[in-house]
Amino acid sequence: MRQELLLEFLSEEIPAKFQRKAISDAKTAITGILNDNGAIFDKVDSFVSTRRITLRIQNLLPQTKDSFQKKRGPKTTASQEAICGFLKSNHKASEDLIETDGYYYLNIENKGVAICDVIPTIIENFILNMPWKKSMKWYLEDQNTLSAFWVRPIRSILCVYDFSTIRTYVKSVGITTDNITFGHRFLSPQQIEIYDFNDYISKLEKNNVMLDFFKKREYIDREISQMAAAMGLCVKIDDDLLDEVTGLVEYPFIHMGTIDEQFMKLPSAVLSTFMKVHQKYFTLTYPDSVAAPFFGMVTNVPGTEVMYEGFNRVLRARLSDAAFFFKEDSDVTLEAYAQRLSNVVFHEKLGSIAQKIYRMMSIASTKEEHRVIALCKADLMTQMVGEVPELQGVMGEIYANLQFEKAEVCVAIREHYKPLGASDGLPVTKTGARVAFFDKLDTLVGFLGSDIYPTGSKDPFALRRAAHSIIRLLCDFDGNVLEGETLSWYITTLMTSYSDQGVALNQDTLVNVEKFLTDRFKIYVADRLNIGPDVVDSAITNVDTFCFDCKETVKKIERLKTLMDLPEFSSIKEACKRVRGTLEQNSDDLPLVSVAELSFKDENMINVQNLVLKLEEKPHDFGIITSVSSAILSAYDNVLINDPDPKIREKNFALLNRFSEIIKLHYGVL
Amino acid sequence: MKAKRSFQDIIFSLQEYWANNGCVIMQPYDTEVGAGTSHFATTLKALGDENWNVAFVQPCRRPKDGRYAENPNRTQYYYQYQVILKPAPGNPQELYIESLKSVGFDLSCHDVRFVEDDWENPSLGAAGLGWEVWCDGMEITQYTYFQQVGGISCSVTPVEITYGLERIATFMQNVESHFDINWNGREDEKKLTYGDVLRRFEREFSCYNFDVASVDMLLDHFNDYENECKKLLAHNLVMPAYEQCVKANHCFNLLDARGVISVTERASYIARVRALAKSCCQAWVES
Repeated sequence: MRQELLLEFLSEEIPAKFQRKAISDAKTAITGILNDNGAIFDKVDSFVSTRRITLRIQNLLPQTKDSFQKKRGPKTTASQEAICGFLKSNHKASEDLIETDGYYYLNIENKGVAICDVIPTIIENFILNMPWKKSMKWYLEDQNTLSAFWVRPIRSILCVYDFSTIRTYVKSVGITTDNITFGHRFLSPQQIEIYDFNDYISKLEKNNVMLDFFKKREYIDREISQMAAAMGLCVKIDDDLLDEVTGLVEYPFIHMGTIDEQFMKLPSAVLSTFMKVHQKYFTLTYPDSVAAPFFGMVTNVPGTEVMYEGFNRVLRARLSDAAFFFKEDSDVTLEAYAQRLSNVVFHEKLGSIAQKIYRMMSIASTKEEHRVIALCKADLMTQMVGEVPELQGVMGEIYANLQFEKAEVCVAIREHYKPLGASDGLPVTKTGARVAFFDKLDTLVGFLGSDIYPTGSKDPFALRRAAHSIIRLLCDFDGNVLEGETLSWYITTLMTSYSDQGVALNQDTLVNVEKFLTDRFKIYVADRLNIGPDVVDSAITNVDTFCFDCKETVKKIERLKTLMDLPEFSSIKEACKRVRGTLEQNSDDLPLVSVAELSFKDENMINVQNLVLKLEEKPHDFGIITSVSSAILSAYDNVLINDPDPKIREKNFALLNRFSEIIKLHYGVL
Repeated sequence: MKAKRSFQDIIFSLQEYWANNGCVIMQPYDTEVGAGTSHFATTLKALGDENWNVAFVQPCRRPKDGRYAENPNRTQYYYQYQVILKPAPGNPQELYIESLKSVGFDLSCHDVRFVEDDWENPSLGAAGLGWEVWCDGMEITQYTYFQQVGGISCSVTPVEITYGLERIATFMQNVESHFDINWNGREDEKKLTYGDVLRRFEREFSCYNFDVASVDMLLDHFNDYENECKKLLAHNLVMPAYEQCVKANHCFNLLDARGVISVTERASYIARVRALAKSCCQAWVES
C-alpha cells in the first residue's frame, strides 16, 4: 500500500503470557512516538505473534508537520550580548522578540522534515518505550556493550515505507533494518523479502505463520471444539490456557491424545489441573461433564505418530506423580497436616498460618465454621499442593471428603479461597462465604495495621484483591455474611486477637481498614454500574454509610443512577440544589416536626407538603420525586421561602428539610 | 526409525558438537552440587568481561528428589549437560537446535518449543530470563540468559544451556523409565542399563538422605563450611572459598531432605548460603 510504514521486530520467543497485552501496548507506544515526532498518519495496527511484533502505519505522509514553538530566551534585563546570541542562534532579528513576564521569547517555526529521516528515531524510541513486564539485556558484539531492554534478544528488524526498504542501523540493539523477515522457525526458516503489509501477511501465511493473535486463538478454539464434538465430547475451554497455547505456536495444529485408564480414578480436578499446568493440554469431558480419557492439544508443527507417543508418555509420567502424591497425602489426616502450619510463615510481622487460624476462630460463630477454619489451610502441607499450588482448597475438599467430614464443611474448605479474581464466582455455602470473609479480613487488618499498603502498581500481598473480594462477599453473596454483627466488630475483634498474639497494630487500624474498604468499594460500584466516581461520591456521603449496610448502598446508587437517567433529572437536581442552598444559608437549628402537622396557607406550599407526604410513603417513586421537584421550583418562583415572619419561615424550612433528607437517605446528595 | 542412541553416545555427540563450536570441554565439578550452575566454571566464570565458552557433564545431587529408585523419572542423582556461551552469540537458539540434530533428533517429526521459564537460583543469588525447551511436551533443556550471578549484574550476558540427559535419552530410546535407558548401546548380554549402573546407588542414597544421615554432624558441617568459607575469603582464596560455599549448600539440602528444617529456618539457611555466594562472587570480580 502507498504511504504505508511496516515495521517488524523479530525476536526469540516472546513469553506467551505477555503477548496479548503487548498488542495494545505496542499500539499505544508507537502512536505516542509518531505524534511526538510530528508524523501525519491515519491508522496504526499492531500484531504480536510468537516471535514478532509487527506495526502497520497507514497513510503516513512523507513529510512531518510544521510546528511552532515559543522559545524562551534571556531575561529582558540581560546583556545586549546575550540577547544577540539568542537571536543569532535562532536566525531571527530583534523585531521578532516578544516580551513576556520579564523574558524575551521567539516564535520558532520548525518546518516538517522527510518522514524517512525520522523513522530511525521512531524505531529507537519504540524499543525504548515499549513496556514489558520483564525484560533483559544482551551482548552486542559490534559495540562491545549491552543492548537496550527487550523481552528477549531481537534478531532482525523489518522496515519498509511506501514499498521501499529503509536500511538504518538501530544502535540500541545493534541491528540494521532491512526488507527481510523469516517464516516459521521449523517449517519455513528461510529469508523472505517483503514489499508491503499485504505482501507480508500473505507471505507469512504461506510460510506457516499466523500473525493475528485473535484469529489464531479463535481458530484453536473452534478446531478443538469441533474435534471433540466429532467424538461426542465437550472441551473445558479455559481462557488463560487458550491465550497461552495461542502464544506458544506460530501456526496451530490441533490433536487429540489419550489418558491411560489407570489414571481415570484420580479426581477430575487433579487430572485437568495437572494437564493444564504442566502440559498445557485441554480437558475433554462427556456431555454430562464427567472427565473423558482424552485430551486436546496444540502443536507448532504437524503431528506424527512418534510425537503422539511422546505426548502420551509425558502425561503418563506426570499422572504417575499425581497418583503417588494422592496416595501418600491421603494416608495422613488433615488435622495432622494442620498441626504443621505453625511452621509456615504467613508474614514475618504477622506470625504463622497457625496463628492466622487462631485469629479467624475468634470471629467465627458456628460449629461448622470452626471446623472449616481448623482444616482449610491444611492442604498447603500436602505433596499435591506443594507440587501444584493451583490445587489449594480443591485438594482440601477432596481429602476432607475422604475422611468423611460433613458435606458443607468439605465444600466450604474449597470455597474459602473464593472469589479468586474479578471474574471468579462467589462461594455457594454460607459457611464458605463467611470463612472466606474472615480469611481476607484478617489479612487486611494485619497488613494495613502494620502500615503495609499497596503502592502504585505494586501490591505484593494482593491487598486490593482481598478488599475487592470482601466487598463482593458483602454486596453480592445471597445471604448476610456479617450475621448480625457490624463490620467494625469483626475488625476490632481481629485487632484484639492480633494484640493477644503480641502483634502490635497501628491504633488507627479500624479507621484505616474501613477507609481502605470504602475506597475500593467506590471503585467497585463505579465499575459495576458503569458510572462516574462523582455519582458514587454523591451517594456515599460518609464512611459509615457503606460500613453500615453494603447491599443497601449498592441499591441506593442503582436508584440514583436510574434517577439520573430520567429526562426530568435536571429539574430534580435544580430543586435539590436550591433547597440545599436555602438550608445552608440558614443553618440555625431546624425544628424536627412531622410534615403532616405543618399548616400552610400558600397553595404552592400546600402542594409541596402533599407531595412530600406522598414521597415519605413511596420514596422510590420517581413520578412523585419529579412532581415534588417541580412543585418546589414553582414555589421558589411564587413564594418568598425566606419569609420575614419567622413562624412562616421555619415551617417552610422544615418542609424543605424533610424533602432534602428523604433524597439524601435514598439517593444521596444531588 | 534411526538406531537408538545409547546414553553414552548422546554424551559423546554433545561433547563433539560443542567442542566443534568453540567450547572447552571440562569435566564435572568434583564436589556435590545441585546443578551445573554451581560448577565454578559457571558461577564464577559467568562474571567478568572475558570470553568463556565451556561444556561439561555435571552429576547433580538433589537429596529431596530421591524416591528409593521407585519412581521412573525422579531421582536424587542425575546428569546434566551444561553449556555456557559467554557472551551469548547472535544465534544461540540455532546452535542449540543444531545440537539436538547432532544427538540424533529428527526434528521433522517432533514438536520443539521454547516455553517461558525465568530461572532463579536463590542460593546463588542468580537469575536470568529464558525458556524451558519442550520436545513433544517434555522439558528436555533449560535455556537461560543470565542477568545476574551472586547478586552481581553480568557485564557480558552469558547464555546457559542445560540439557537433562536422562530426559533426552528416555525420549530418544522411547523408554518409560530412567532406569531402562540403555547406557552402553549393547543389545547383547553385555548391555548395561541406567538401572544396572545406578539403581543401588539411588536406593541407598535415598535411605541415607531421608532416613539415616546424621543431623548433628550435618549441622556442624554446615557451620564449619560457612566459617571456612569466610576465613578463606579473608585470605582472598576465592575458589577454595567458593567450594566451601557449595559444600555448605549440599549440607543444607541434606538437612532439608531429613525434614529437620522448618519453613522459617529454610529461608534463613538459604540466605546464609546466598551471603557466602555473594561474597565469593564479589571477591572474584574484584580480584
